[in-house]
Amino acid sequence: MPKKQVSLDVRQLDNFVYDMSRCIKCKGCYWVEHTYMPGVNFSTRCPSNTWNDFDSYGAFGKMRIGMAVAEGRLPWTPKLLEIIYADPLCGACDVGCKRNLDLEIELSLEALRVKAVKDGAGPMPAHKKVAENIAKTHNQFGSPHESRKKWLSGDIQVASKTDVLYFVGCSASYLNPEIARATAKILNASGTPFMLMADEWCCGNTLYSVGMVDEAQALARRNIDAVKATGAKTVILSCAEGYRMWKADYPKMLNVATKDLGFQVMHLVEFADAMVKKGTLKPTKPVNARAAYHDSCSISRLADSWTPWSGERGWMGTVSPALKRRRGTEGLYAPPRNLLKAIPGINFVEMPRTRENAFCCGAGRGTKEAFPQLASFSAKHRLDEVKSVGAELLVSACPWCKNNFAQVAKETGNSVKVMDIAELILASVKG
Amino acid sequence: MEIDVDNRRVRIEAGVKWQQLTDELAKKGMRMIMPLLPPAGRSVLTDYLEREVPTNVVYDYGEPMQSLEVVWPTGEIFRMGSASVNGYPDSASKGANPSGPGIDFYRFVQGAQGTMGVVTWLNLKIESIPKIDKVFLAPVDDLAYAQDFLYRVLPRRIGQECLLLNNVDLAAIIAEKWPSDFESLRAALPPWTLVLVVSGLLRRPEEKIAYEENFLKQVVRNEFRKMEIQDNLPGVPGVGRKLLTLLRKPWPEDNTYWKNVWKGSSQSLFFIARPSATPLYADIVKKIVPQYGYPVNDVGMYIQPIEHNRACHMEFTFFYNPANAADKARIGDLYRNVAISLLNQGAFFSRPYGELAAMMYERASGYTMALKRLKKVFDPKNIMNPGNLCF
Amino acid sequence: MAIVKEAYKALEAIVGPKYISDDPAICEGYRSGPGGYESGLGYERVMTKIPAVVILPRNTEEVQRIVKVCNRYKVPYVPYSTGFYGPRSHCHVDNELLVDLKRLNDFEIDEKHFYAVVGSGVVYSPLQEEAMKRGAYVVIGGGGAQASVIANLIGDGWSPLSHRIGLPHRRILGTEVVLPDGELLKLGTLAVGEDPFWGDGIGPDLRGLLRGYTGLRGCLGIVTKMAVKLLPFQPERLVPTGISPNTALALPEKRVKWVNYQMPSKEAQVKAMFEIGKAEVGGAVTKVPLFWRAIAKAESKEQFWEIWGKENADTIKNFHIVRVLFIGFTSEEQMQYDENVIGDIMKELGAITRPTKPSDESWIKNADSAGMWLMCGSYVSVDYVIETLSQAVVHGNSYADLKWKYTPPLMPDYGDPGWFQSFELGHQGYSEFLIYWDQDEDTTGVDHFYLETSKMNIKNRYYTSLLGPHQPLYLTGPKYGPNYHQWLLKIKDEFDPLWVSHPPVPLAHDAFVDKAEWMKPLKDWESPKIPTKY
Repeated sequence: MPKKQVSLDVRQLDNFVYDMSRCIKCKGCYWVEHTYMPGVNFSTRCPSNTWNDFDSYGAFGKMRIGMAVAEGRLPWTPKLLEIIYADPLCGACDVGCKRNLDLEIELSLEALRVKAVKDGAGPMPAHKKVAENIAKTHNQFGSPHESRKKWLSGDIQVASKTDVLYFVGCSASYLNPEIARATAKILNASGTPFMLMADEWCCGNTLYSVGMVDEAQALARRNIDAVKATGAKTVILSCAEGYRMWKADYPKMLNVATKDLGFQVMHLVEFADAMVKKGTLKPTKPVNARAAYHDSCSISRLADSWTPWSGERGWMGTVSPALKRRRGTEGLYAPPRNLLKAIPGINFVEMPRTRENAFCCGAGRGTKEAFPQLASFSAKHRLDEVKSVGAELLVSACPWCKNNFAQVAKETGNSVKVMDIAELILASVKG
Repeated sequence: MEIDVDNRRVRIEAGVKWQQLTDELAKKGMRMIMPLLPPAGRSVLTDYLEREVPTNVVYDYGEPMQSLEVVWPTGEIFRMGSASVNGYPDSASKGANPSGPGIDFYRFVQGAQGTMGVVTWLNLKIESIPKIDKVFLAPVDDLAYAQDFLYRVLPRRIGQECLLLNNVDLAAIIAEKWPSDFESLRAALPPWTLVLVVSGLLRRPEEKIAYEENFLKQVVRNEFRKMEIQDNLPGVPGVGRKLLTLLRKPWPEDNTYWKNVWKGSSQSLFFIARPSATPLYADIVKKIVPQYGYPVNDVGMYIQPIEHNRACHMEFTFFYNPANAADKARIGDLYRNVAISLLNQGAFFSRPYGELAAMMYERASGYTMALKRLKKVFDPKNIMNPGNLCF
Repeated sequence: MAIVKEAYKALEAIVGPKYISDDPAICEGYRSGPGGYESGLGYERVMTKIPAVVILPRNTEEVQRIVKVCNRYKVPYVPYSTGFYGPRSHCHVDNELLVDLKRLNDFEIDEKHFYAVVGSGVVYSPLQEEAMKRGAYVVIGGGGAQASVIANLIGDGWSPLSHRIGLPHRRILGTEVVLPDGELLKLGTLAVGEDPFWGDGIGPDLRGLLRGYTGLRGCLGIVTKMAVKLLPFQPERLVPTGISPNTALALPEKRVKWVNYQMPSKEAQVKAMFEIGKAEVGGAVTKVPLFWRAIAKAESKEQFWEIWGKENADTIKNFHIVRVLFIGFTSEEQMQYDENVIGDIMKELGAITRPTKPSDESWIKNADSAGMWLMCGSYVSVDYVIETLSQAVVHGNSYADLKWKYTPPLMPDYGDPGWFQSFELGHQGYSEFLIYWDQDEDTTGVDHFYLETSKMNIKNRYYTSLLGPHQPLYLTGPKYGPNYHQWLLKIKDEFDPLWVSHPPVPLAHDAFVDKAEWMKPLKDWESPKIPTKY
């Protein structure tokens, strides 16, 4: 067979025909990784396929569907769009498959969405609304751009020029000011001066995730240039989705390596963990609660740095040059756990599904907007797991997770308290 | 008879009897995993076809039976399992796999009481004769307690032969002089005796005995103080050694079969049960038999644990004088009544003989229908033992 | 593609509109290939189709009603639990209903009596975890932790742990089967009550209808519930460790331990297995094919080929590992006894004990069977035979000779044909032959090799897994039994008079040879026209 030119560029579905064609239907994309299987309960980690039982909603079904799309055998219908978009792209499938194989499942799914948009079929109407909002007001919600910094309270010191920049993100700016404030105050408390962007725009998470890659790329370029202009050496985020965008998807879209961005991307949990170890952040005030921690997908399975790659695929499917695939090994698992264990009074319990086996909250990457029933289903399913370990407090590291869990807990009369880790750290630092 | 020591297999024809088989195997240092005291003159093949339950609990892997050859009711000769290869036994395939080809034919033939075809030979697993044997015995008056003990130790893969015999059965098995020995033994023996043979095999036999013994001691000391497991039975000297010999050989041909010595004949009712249910079943029998004028103390009882005590074979024996018509009729009625009561409490008659068959097949209507359809395939003219089972 | 409207409505009335679909996108998700077990080959290309309708029942009753509708309207159907087995578990004809059993996922466990009751949707790793929580274990078949327990136990179902309980059909207890005509058959103690603890038939044992060494691929009905034997294990916990892809179970070394022994020769390797069997010790025993070690070390295809490229026929000839799993079922003392005994055997045979990781990456939870596809993207186990150790040895040689003729397109294995081990404490031997190829190449050779293997077995009088639906029935039938095919077809006709249950199985491979031009030159046996009875 002649060699084929391939790359990891999601703009061309053809780059992933080999991957989609070699799915073996082992459902490593669906089940909790077997070594960690907790039993008959909480046995899956694919929200889409746990929500809808037809094979087509699991990655293994989508790989077959993707082949049909690539070969022009399936027209875009509402059902096909639902299959492709009712999916938080949480990365469980990608990491699950890569435990044993070397197929690019996540990128295939992203490429399918890019194709849907290119073909004029996607994204979902709710996503189009988000895109309009971003175009008009530079945030997902269509809220006034000039209100973006309203969260800033008088007791927070912001530097005008320093090495660290805090990228707040749309959610914390408009929906979760408590997270933004807590993050800022943690930075202050640790003695770390930080800047804010003079004119912060949406990171473009939803745009990229639903396949609007051109719009997302334009935002990426603009945002990176804006950060570079500040001279920041480190960008800190307290939103997992934003973290993933800056660390992995910006470089991906711009065809550069993460390490070549020109600045380091960090999540608050990494930063705070380092500061606690250094002694500059002191969580001393007790917070008494039995707490579970939810590993937000974008700082877990999806957190690996990006390295551009293109080459050839040939004999037996081997590629050259050699490619070290992203397998989710850079997930931020230890830092949040260190932090929780450092807070006096916290009785930390692990859930049956942790780390790369965590069950996505179901809200991210455009899912909550277009498929609120999937987002609710996932959150409820995860909250049952929280209950199963007797936790009264659920902690996560992303406003999307927090909001979805909190909303569903309220709707279902679940008394569990939902907090972002920033709030928890602050409560122990400041009291 | 073809003995294949390397693969621990023997192939026997229908006419091979227990005495012949055990003698020939012993010459090569091998033995069968056997049911309890098969008569020396009985066909070995028949016993395994009838799914007789072995006294040895060592198997994790089911039963000794492997592949076999049958003559179907249509007259065709057919070899099953891995003996189905063309040219067998002149083949690389030795017949060690009973399963297939295509469908598990052998399962239709087992338990069929001759209604599905005539088996001409079969392959069986054989084992090496242990280098050392130690017989442990424990008097039991609380059957439930003994079952709890077996639930605890048998999953730990302890023991070779392991069985429970009540005083009547055990007395009948070991008595030499009749009726004196039998009567004094029946009176002296505890209600039940647990027999547990611990053996050392081909390699480091003492170490195997040691770890099994140590484990047993520990369990008894920490959890089952009332199990007085010893290498003898108080009041009955030498019974361990005697039993070991009996358990490893068929019942001698020139001795009346142990069940028939006392009154001339007997009828045994046996089934598969959950071990925890055996005390209930014993109680049921004890309640019913007096209603037929049969003394409770005359009932023989035998419990054979199966595979880690996940199940057991339970067997009640009722002794009677065959020359006495009233006796015989009474036993028939008693038998039927006991069977129905036990059946209602979950006893599973997987090998139903005589009227038990009708009882079972009536309850298992879906199964019976399917079985009849299968029989039609192999014996369309119903020439093989019509009237047997449900046919 | 469609089924008659009345049939669809009748089916919808059984499960509700949420659990039935004829949408083309939904049905496309149920395509067999192009990737997977035995995929990318002629059989898959010629014989499989996507379903016209997919239905997801919840319990035995719904399955039974569905099958009755299929009989009433002559709708062909295929039972499907995970679809992992490849083309043979997928639709083979037009306008077919796929019965997706994944919602039959009820689970009960009787710890004291060592069995679990599962529905067809339950896969192995949850069962293994529930068993281990209670001091028990199961044998997870080579298909992996993702295989449906029921489908595996009626199809294949073996692993190095089969050193203790090799034949999977021995692990089947009370079972429910919906026969092809919709009658409900309950096996074992379920035939007379609700308690599934024992599996024997009342008289003859109709569990014989479930499989015949290898499975019937769903052409004789749908198993919906099964009580499955668990085996007693040891009490210490095996702790999952690591982050994907490097996850493993940390073993409690005084009760569970793998040890690799390097044997001086192939003969010594075989003798070791005989001796370990005779000594009646060990929890698992297997040879380790060298390419498995390469897979375990490699994180990518490219890395695998780098490692494997360094091997050749000579290095293979001199690599003989026997891998033993010690399990302290009884106590630490018993495990020591097992180690001493096997140590004696290995010393006699001149083997060297190699340092071995105190972890299990593979067989106990069998989390890595999917790794078989890493090397080439395509894989199947051509033949997997339970017979004696003595057949296993000679079978391997004949097979290796034949395989050279088809390399390429088969992956070069330098004469190391596969996996080999003791079963049922040495009473049986097991040999499995795995082949790998790139399905983008011309795969005619692979299709031919498969059939030639069957002929090689017949010629050399070997028992084989290539029976029943796995090879042309009219090729193997006359040569095994003889004429087992005639009985199988009579049974099929009796229980499935309309041939609605997964047609045209068990004649699917016969149909494949008829349909595929490149297979015709190999056809040198008689067969009638394949009936289409619906």
